[in-house]
This record gives sequence, C-alpha cells and structure tokens, in this order.
Amino acid sequence: MSVTLTTTESGPGIRWRTLRPWLGTVVRLGLAAVWLYAGASKVGDLAASGRAVHAYQLMPYEVAKVVGAALPFVELGLGVLLLLGVATRLSAVVSTLLLVAFIVGIVSAWARDLAIDCGCFGTGGELPPGESPSYWLDLLRDLGFLLLAGFLVIWPVTRISIDEWLASAPEAEEGDE
Amino acid sequence: MSKRAGQKQAARVVREQLARERRRRRTIWTSVIAAAVLVIGGVIGWGIYATQRSGEFVPPPGATEDGTGIVTGSGPVTVDIYEDFLCPACRAFEEQSGATLDQLAAEGKAQVVYHPIAILDRFSTTRYSTRSSAASGCAAEGGKFREYARLLFENQPPEGGAGLSDDRLIELAAGIGLGDDFASCVRDGRYKGWTEHVTDAAAERGVRGTPTILVNGQELRDRSPEGIRSAVEGAGG
Repeated sequence: MSVTLTTTESGPGIRWRTLRPWLGTVVRLGLAAVWLYAGASKVGDLAASGRAVHAYQLMPYEVAKVVGAALPFVELGLGVLLLLGVATRLSAVVSTLLLVAFIVGIVSAWARDLAIDCGCFGTGGELPPGESPSYWLDLLRDLGFLLLAGFLVIWPVTRISIDEWLASAPEAEEGDE
Repeated sequence: MSKRAGQKQAARVVREQLARERRRRRTIWTSVIAAAVLVIGGVIGWGIYATQRSGEFVPPPGATEDGTGIVTGSGPVTVDIYEDFLCPACRAFEEQSGATLDQLAAEGKAQVVYHPIAILDRFSTTRYSTRSSAASGCAAEGGKFREYARLLFENQPPEGGAGLSDDRLIELAAGIGLGDDFASCVRDGRYKGWTEHVTDAAAERGVRGTPTILVNGQELRDRSPEGIRSAVEGAGG
C-alpha cells in the first residue's frame, strides 16, 4: 500500500495536528497548577473557606460550610488528575462547571454591590472599608482559566499523560483521536 | 480479491473492533475512577472539617446567655463589638474608641458585648487568632476580659508572623494579676471550642469583617467616639 499525502494535510494543517497535543500538555499543566494552588491556599483553614463561601450570601451558612470544606479537596483532586493527565476530558468538563459557578458567584456579588474578596485563592470575606473589590480582575482571570478548560474539553488528547499511555498500550492500536 | 486476502481483511476488521471496544472500556473506567477521586476528595474534606470542630464548648463566666460574647456593663442599648486580636483595624479602633465604650458601659448607658472572633488564623503561623481569643476567655474567667483585651491590642504582633507565644500571653496576664489558673487555662486550650462557637455564630449572623460594631443590631459605620456616643444616645441610651 502506498501512502499519499494530500495537499490539504501538508503545510499548516499538519503542523497544527503535531503541535496541538503538545499545546494541550501546556494547557493541562497550567490548569493543574491553578487548581493545586487554589486548593492548597484554602485547605489549611476549612472554616475560613466556608466563611468565604458564605460571604457570597448565595446559600444558608450550613450549606456554605459543607461547600467550603469540600471545595479545596475537589480543587486539589482536579489538579492531580490534570497533572497526571487522567480522564482529561472529564476533568476539563468538571473544571468548566466549577469555573462557571465561580463566575456566576462573582457577577452576582458585583451586581449586589457586595464588598467581598472573591476568596479564590485563600483569604475571602468582607473587605476593610475603603478598599474596593477587584471584581474586574477576578472575572478576567476566571474567564482565562475557562478558556484553558474549554481547550481541553474540545481537544483532550495531550502528550505526556496517563491517557496517552493507556491509549497506546500494546494491544490497542492508536486510533485517530 | 483472493480468498486469502478477504480473510485477512475480515480478521483485521475484527481486531480493530476489539481494540476500539477495549479503548472504550478503558475510557469509561478512567472516567469512573476520576469521578470517584473528586467525590471522595469532597467527602474527605467535609469529614476533616467535621472532626476538626470540637462541637462542645464551655463559655467563660461573664458570657452572654448564648455564649457568643463577653458582657461588660449594662444599659438599655446593646452594642456588639466583633474583633480579632490580630486585626490592625481593630487595634486602631480600640485606641480610638475603646475608652468611650468603657465609659458608656460604666455610665449604665449601654451593655457592650465583645465577641473575640478568630477569622485571621491563616495570617499567622500558629493560629494566633484562635489562641489569643481563647486566652481572652481565660481572662474573662479571672474577671479581667477588658484589661487583657487592651493588653493584647497594645502588644499586637504583625500579620504573617508567629504571633505571641503562649508563654508571652501568660506573661502579659501576670502583669494584671492573672496567675497559675490563667496559665493552665491557656496551656490546656480550655476556651478554644468557645472561640470556634463565637466565630461560627458571628459568621451565621452575617459578620464578615473586623471590626464590626452593631448598635441594637444595626451596623454602625461611623466608628469614632462621637459616632458611637450619638448612636447609643439616639437608640435611647
């Protein structure tokens, strides 16, 4: 059988197909770092994490306490999964859902004129008087993270990952994806 | 196409199908494992938090009925003060308006309730907010909550450091006549559970920063001595 490269597959097209999985690796590790940092900054004081959630005034305190205690561990879990590249698409989908929830929270706090620290990376709660919240920056940053997660939802195949290693295990032939 | 070639091709199709099936199953299993990691992580988080809470607490003498603060003075108006001993704005507030509050309490115009909450534990390496709040409970046991609180603010350590050691907390108390019982109270962490209760109750009430001052439940924005006095007198004190 002879292999013929059609013209459409040469040039920029083929470069994208080779580069994409490597770009995906960078994106995956970047998002992993975000989650690991976010989780690590909250895990030392779970009560404070609950209070930061409560500061958004979106749920009763009892619920906020549970969410606040669970959240850092879910973030750390996502960080580890993405770092290793296990179930990348699922991790990216969960990341997307979480980020959308955070963005909704920030927008709603902004709309209600709450003067709170987003609590994204530790701290959180009400700001001292005279200090205005930087909702702008928080939103832009979260939207940036959302782009990273979206990339991995669309193209979850990345180099140097457990997913890749599993897919190329001896018996299984590499498919197109 | 020869018969042999046909068989070969059929075998390849079957092989590919099997491989695809294997891949699919692997994907499902890794997804299940990953989802389990996230769910179990969340449950572990809640479990750790739940066991960290002591649940039981003993309020120090002089505390309010619900045990969420220390009462000084009495009067027709209730002033609630929420402070963290590590908070610089609380120190400034104490320097500016602490004496006025003591006067209002002494004049019988207001009952001033101090809630020493611990929301800044992550800004010291030794959970100084909790330790100092629990120590103030020990001082309340010795009947010297206000004196000790003033000392704590005067000797406030910077944020981000180790805070004052337990030894130093005991030494400060010795200066105002709190002795061995205070020392063992601090070392045993007798009021750490109470500190948790005070902090939790404040969060539930919607207190999100320190200092927060409530006059008959209304948040006071003007924290100057004049602002406090006029708010108390306006409320009937």
